[in-house]
Amino acid sequence: MKSVVTTVVTAADAAGRFPSTSDLQSVQGSLQRAAARLEAAEKLASNLDAVAQEAYDACIKKYPYLNNQGEANSTDTFKSKCLRDVKHYMRLINYCLVVGGTGPLDEWGIAGQREVYRALNLPTAPYVEALSFARTRGCAPRDMSAQALTEYNALLDYVINSLS
Amino acid sequence: MLDAFSRAVVSADASTKCIGGEDLASLRNFISEGNRRLDAVNAIASNASCMVSDAIAGMICENQGLIQAGGNCYPNRRMAACLRDGEIILRYVTYALLAGDASVLEDRCLNGLKETYTALGVPATSTVRAVQIMKAQAAAHIKDQPSEEFAGARLRKMGSPVVEDRCASLVAEASSYFDRVIAALS
Repeated sequence: MKSVVTTVVTAADAAGRFPSTSDLQSVQGSLQRAAARLEAAEKLASNLDAVAQEAYDACIKKYPYLNNQGEANSTDTFKSKCLRDVKHYMRLINYCLVVGGTGPLDEWGIAGQREVYRALNLPTAPYVEALSFARTRGCAPRDMSAQALTEYNALLDYVINSLS
Repeated sequence: MLDAFSRAVVSADASTKCIGGEDLASLRNFISEGNRRLDAVNAIASNASCMVSDAIAGMICENQGLIQAGGNCYPNRRMAACLRDGEIILRYVTYALLAGDASVLEDRCLNGLKETYTALGVPATSTVRAVQIMKAQAAAHIKDQPSEEFAGARLRKMGSPVVEDRCASLVAEASSYFDRVIAALS
């Protein structure tokens, strides 16, 4: 899975050399930023249900037609699945914050995403709305430190871009 | 290939749970001791060629048959191949130590290594002995306590700032990677 360390090791291995000083420097750079990422990951993990519920409520509020019969949010089963999807993205963002790269989102979220939503006839606009709500809802220093919030928002932007 | 962080993610994903609380504590520890880890990797990388040649020389000292006609380190061509393999194994152990996870060592070095050596007729006991010597050397260099008795005039210290426990956890981690190599070969 792609991260600073695996990138460095892959490059060193391709050249057949031991990790050089510059390799170690880039790993150290990533470790220095890691504290903020882990803070964001911890705060998100402890509030994930509330964050996902608020984001889900916001997108249903903006697109109330989804509650109409035959639409994606019409039955209890569909409702719980919609909420689950939002939680799923939040969990992958939690993973990305831990890894320090977009590997988990790329491999487990975005790959095949478009095809799945097309096959199931789901609109992507509500997902964008839910994630955009989460993007504006986060607030420093109330929720987490400014640097941690920057890392968190960057990943939300990444998912939003993949859906739009 | 995984590192300590992606290993945590992969195991959390298996049960679809978020990473928080105590899972993060070990990763925070990884970060706070990051500089020690980098120093340990540097200590091995900076002494690599010396470690490899000493390990192979030690292996041959204990088994002179290797450099006589018909031995596996005779002639020079095969001795050179032996030195090269020693360096490759040490290099992948270093990568694993840098990543904090053994997957790079397992996938890219140990997978199929025993079968290859069996097919080429490389004696496993000698290979294991060389790896054991490298394991002891790596521990000495990470602790920055090379043996004065054996090194003699060639004694070489890294001189990095020494911490109280002499990086005991990293010594244990590096040793575990060498043990994986030994287990894969025997």
